[in-house]
Amino acid sequence: MVERPSSRRLTAVLTYAVLLGFAAYCLVPFLWMVDTAIKPTPEIRSTHPTFLIEHPTLAHFARVIFDTSFLVFFRNSLIVALGSTVATMILAVFAAYAMSRWGRYPAVRAVGGALLISQMIPGVLLLVPLYMLMLDLGLLSSYAALIITYTTFMLPICVFLLKSFFDTIPLELEDAAEIDGCSRLGIIFRVVLPLSLPGLVTTWTFAFIGAWNEFMFGYVLVNTDARRTLTPGILLFKGLYATDWGSLMAAAVLAVLPVAVLFLYLQRFLIKGLASGAVKG
Amino acid sequence: MRLERPARIRRNSLLFVAPAGALVLLLVALPLLRVIWDSFHFVNLVNPEQAGWAGLENYRTVLDDEEFAPAVVRTVWWTALSVVGEYLLGLVSALALARKVRGRAVFRAILTVPWIVPIVVAGLTWTWMLTPDYGVVNAWLQASGIARHPHHWLGQTETALLAVTFVNVWRSFPFYTISLLAGLQTVPRELYEAAAIDGAGALGRFWHITLPHLRGISLTLVVMHCIWTAINFDFIWVMTEGGPLNASQTLPVLVYRYALQQFDVGAASVVAVFMMLFMAGLVALRLALGRPARAEA
Repeated sequence: MVERPSSRRLTAVLTYAVLLGFAAYCLVPFLWMVDTAIKPTPEIRSTHPTFLIEHPTLAHFARVIFDTSFLVFFRNSLIVALGSTVATMILAVFAAYAMSRWGRYPAVRAVGGALLISQMIPGVLLLVPLYMLMLDLGLLSSYAALIITYTTFMLPICVFLLKSFFDTIPLELEDAAEIDGCSRLGIIFRVVLPLSLPGLVTTWTFAFIGAWNEFMFGYVLVNTDARRTLTPGILLFKGLYATDWGSLMAAAVLAVLPVAVLFLYLQRFLIKGLASGAVKG
Repeated sequence: MRLERPARIRRNSLLFVAPAGALVLLLVALPLLRVIWDSFHFVNLVNPEQAGWAGLENYRTVLDDEEFAPAVVRTVWWTALSVVGEYLLGLVSALALARKVRGRAVFRAILTVPWIVPIVVAGLTWTWMLTPDYGVVNAWLQASGIARHPHHWLGQTETALLAVTFVNVWRSFPFYTISLLAGLQTVPRELYEAAAIDGAGALGRFWHITLPHLRGISLTLVVMHCIWTAINFDFIWVMTEGGPLNASQTLPVLVYRYALQQFDVGAASVVAVFMMLFMAGLVALRLALGRPARAEA
């Protein structure tokens, strides 16, 4: 950039000031959540709250894990998130492959268009009919209801993400495999998927975070503690333990943990995927 | 039977997309039609006796409901304030991240953190920070002399929706940051250099080079987020359940109220149809303003 050194230093200082401000804005609630979770209750109920903790404690975590249904909710979230992401990936791999390689066929084009439109249709519009559909099918308060719903809503994003990865794999590789007598499934599983492993991981992670964080359908389609997932479960805790903020924040920390770990490992890929604009907030 | 290669590919293409197509048909297309259908019928969740053609009766129920018009106004405010706030924060942070400073990768990761937090957790954490007793926000406001008394941000009709909007902006702006940052990186550096040689100041360069380059991606971002914000149920339900005294009740909350608290599926479907029309309007507006950014990417 063509700038005088003095003004360059000024902009650098300004840039850091802005970035530090934003970093604080983003992290303080996060840190306060952790801070509250390991503070003993008397220190939480202070009229002069600080980040300093005189007697750190794990009592809130113990209470959440041993005295509440937290572990059941956690397990349910895990089952639903894994089930729906696996189903999504299987459907998405085949649909994305067809869209990447055979995009001119009418059936492929029709489904591609349908996915594009359905990506724009928000879940809340379908909340009532889906509730009634699950009611008619006898699937309310089942894992299946959530797995089917999450799969449907994550499918378009995952198909488009995967398609963009498949598009980068040269056709010549597939032609060579086909000449060697490889079947179509063989081509997909031995050539395409191994080459798009980063793409598969990115797509799966997006789907997993989406399923793990989803609230509305989990809240509406499940009415028993035995099948309740974590996000509606935490809201339930809020009603039950209204002023026990230490335990509520401990539950919040534990609920964020899986996505936070995934994010730390994969943030480069995830930010790239985010930038491609394919993922809902 | 051994098919010829073109026929085999045609059959495979059908098999490959059929499951995805079926899922979208059964769980998106048909339910969508059912919403429209239900809006013209009497449908009750607990009383199956209430059934049959309703004509415009459900529409009258909703339009006569004194909660409907305020909910529309609130939805517009909630959406407009959220999107403006998110866009401004997203733009400023993206401009800062686009400078080649040391540690920008770390800052970029930190600035994405709010986006991965589940809405329920974000809502709960901010609810705790905003409580009048022991809440850290009130404590800081008092310590810095901005406020004299603790304020019950979520519990008072004047501030409840604003407080939820603030939290929504916190969680959603990183999406703008990342998208706008990607947009900024496509601006050719030569343009800035040429403009600087021609004597354009920093503001002039921003106004005449940066902003026009971000036009396409900004339009897409704003339109998509208008839709996603207007239809968002989670934030408001988690933090206030539409209260106090319905002061933060928006249209999605109204859908939930009609369907799952009053069991009036017909009325809930009417609100959903209104929301659908609003969305279709926005998408049409976006298309009228130019081709979508996805095609440019």
